[in-house]
Amino acid sequence: MDIFSDLVMGLSIAITPINMLYLLAGAMVGMIVGVIPGFGPSAGLAILLPLTFGMDPVGAIMMLAAIYYGSMYGGTITSILLNTPGESATVASTFDGYPLAKNGRAGPALVMQAVASFVGGTVGVILITILAPMFSQVSRSFGPPEYFLLAMMGMLTLIVMIGSNWKLGIISALIGFALGTVGVDLETGQSRYTFGSAELIGGIYFIPIAIGLFGLGELFYAFYSGMHRTGSGGLVQYDKESRFWPTAQDFISTRWTMVRGSILGFVVGVIPGAGATIASLMAYSTERSLSKTPENFGKGEMAGLVAPETANNAASSGAMIPLLTLGIPGSASTAVLLAAFLLWGLRPGPLFMSQNPELAWGLIASMYLGNMVLLAISVFAIPLFVQIIKVPYRILGPCIVVICALGTFTVHASFIEMWLMVAAGVIGFFMRLYGFSPAALVLALVLGPLAEEALRQTMTISRGSFGIFLDRPASVWIIVVTIALLLILPLIGRIGAKAKASGA
Amino acid sequence: MRIVFLIVLLCGAIFYTYIAFSDLNFMTRTGRLGPGFFPRLVGLGIVVMTLWAIVDALRDRRVIGAGGTDPYDMTPDARWRDFALLVALVLGYAILIRLFGGWISTVVYLGTALYLLNPGRHLQNALVALIFPTTVYLLFDRVLNANMPPALINLPF
Repeated sequence: MDIFSDLVMGLSIAITPINMLYLLAGAMVGMIVGVIPGFGPSAGLAILLPLTFGMDPVGAIMMLAAIYYGSMYGGTITSILLNTPGESATVASTFDGYPLAKNGRAGPALVMQAVASFVGGTVGVILITILAPMFSQVSRSFGPPEYFLLAMMGMLTLIVMIGSNWKLGIISALIGFALGTVGVDLETGQSRYTFGSAELIGGIYFIPIAIGLFGLGELFYAFYSGMHRTGSGGLVQYDKESRFWPTAQDFISTRWTMVRGSILGFVVGVIPGAGATIASLMAYSTERSLSKTPENFGKGEMAGLVAPETANNAASSGAMIPLLTLGIPGSASTAVLLAAFLLWGLRPGPLFMSQNPELAWGLIASMYLGNMVLLAISVFAIPLFVQIIKVPYRILGPCIVVICALGTFTVHASFIEMWLMVAAGVIGFFMRLYGFSPAALVLALVLGPLAEEALRQTMTISRGSFGIFLDRPASVWIIVVTIALLLILPLIGRIGAKAKASGA
Repeated sequence: MRIVFLIVLLCGAIFYTYIAFSDLNFMTRTGRLGPGFFPRLVGLGIVVMTLWAIVDALRDRRVIGAGGTDPYDMTPDARWRDFALLVALVLGYAILIRLFGGWISTVVYLGTALYLLNPGRHLQNALVALIFPTTVYLLFDRVLNANMPPALINLPF
């Protein structure tokens, strides 16, 4: 009943005209970001975060969260119509989404993906509502040793999911840690790597790096790959179809697919580092193995579209659990959300829900509303998004540079940060080209200072002994869970890779 | 190119680690972990892992030389020139913003970029180069009350 009253309180905060406007704006922008190939929630959040500085924290967080899960909705539109995933979590949607469109069922495919996303997102939020307070209770006993171990767990699990390029993933993470050491050491007041610059005393700010790596870096890579030269050819037309809406059979045959995809997606999403991409691939693989007609998968089977769509939206909800209750982001997108929380002086973690109930429950309530808004937008605004897809990349690209540059400048009115963004863009391009992980770098940049502070506090408490990690039950459990994840996650990754290889 | 990138990374890592050992103390005078503790660990880690990656890259290169394929060179439509052009445009835009402020520099940048990347469509390019910066200016400066870059050189108009 406490949960119910908290949720009602959250709804009363979320349902105000201005907050609903922010939610709607965030949902639209998220879908637009998702529609642009290569630009996922990380890029969208990083680029648009500076625009929220003048807003009330509740409204701003609602808008950012709407951008985050809105981009999952948008990314599938290009998967279905162009056979080009809007971002990595929608790769699995191309396996059956594009064949459906080519078979003249683009309209039903687009509507079913919206419904599946809605079901996955809503189930995910219901599970957050139930589980977040429980996680919060469990983690109240955590201290600096546990926070350090959680930061390491987040980093290690993300690196393990990178797969064969794990060495480059470690290098990426260490670079992020290194960047996080720039500035004044809080304990001693000594400057580190500032080289006498007043601008660097405050450290290297997260936003220019994130915008550079995910925004500019992705753009540079797109131009390097020649994406701006291919235009938008191959776009499947759907407006000439006689039927736009799915049949009753489409809904009936996929009802259990949605249930399975939601639960699987949410569970995978809770695991730091696993994320929506793995969740969607696993859901596709599971659905095909359970189907009575597996030979139809890859040829336009509706369940083959519904399963990954449900899973990736449920996973985005699941990823909020470690973020809100432990303060540990499991992906680049949630790292940006964490940075946003820190910007407003909020510290997600065990005490977040009890100390900031209006913000926490307002956010959770807004996710229910956001899913409804996105369902409506997804179905009725499809022609608008199709127009956006038709804009050639050679026009879209330079415009995105403008948004990146001006967005970076608005943070601190700093030209130095704009140059940092450009440098990060070039580095991000080379990282993308040579198999490094910009996501690991960004995660380490956010987590590094927290991890260092926690470790130094731990060593102070234990007078230099690392045995403290084995003396505390909570620490031991975290170590056990981390080892279990490090053993299980490569298997999950292999299942996902197998599904990707067979579906492609 | 991959090896060059790794070597540049290694040089940066060595410099970072050198500063960590020479300028930053491992322990404070009161016996706590000092400002150099974390950077030394991180720096050494980057150096070791980058050396390992360079060894792997050299080994891969030998395989490629023996008729294998470079997994990082599989892009059939690689456009180094297009990448360099975009980087040059971005750098030029950053310089223009500093000199002439937000709106004018964006118009000039977009006009130039679209002229080079979307040739032949002059009317379309001109419209985008004028309408987009104006929309962005109105959104940032008027609606969101965000800082727009000021100009170093104030033009008469």
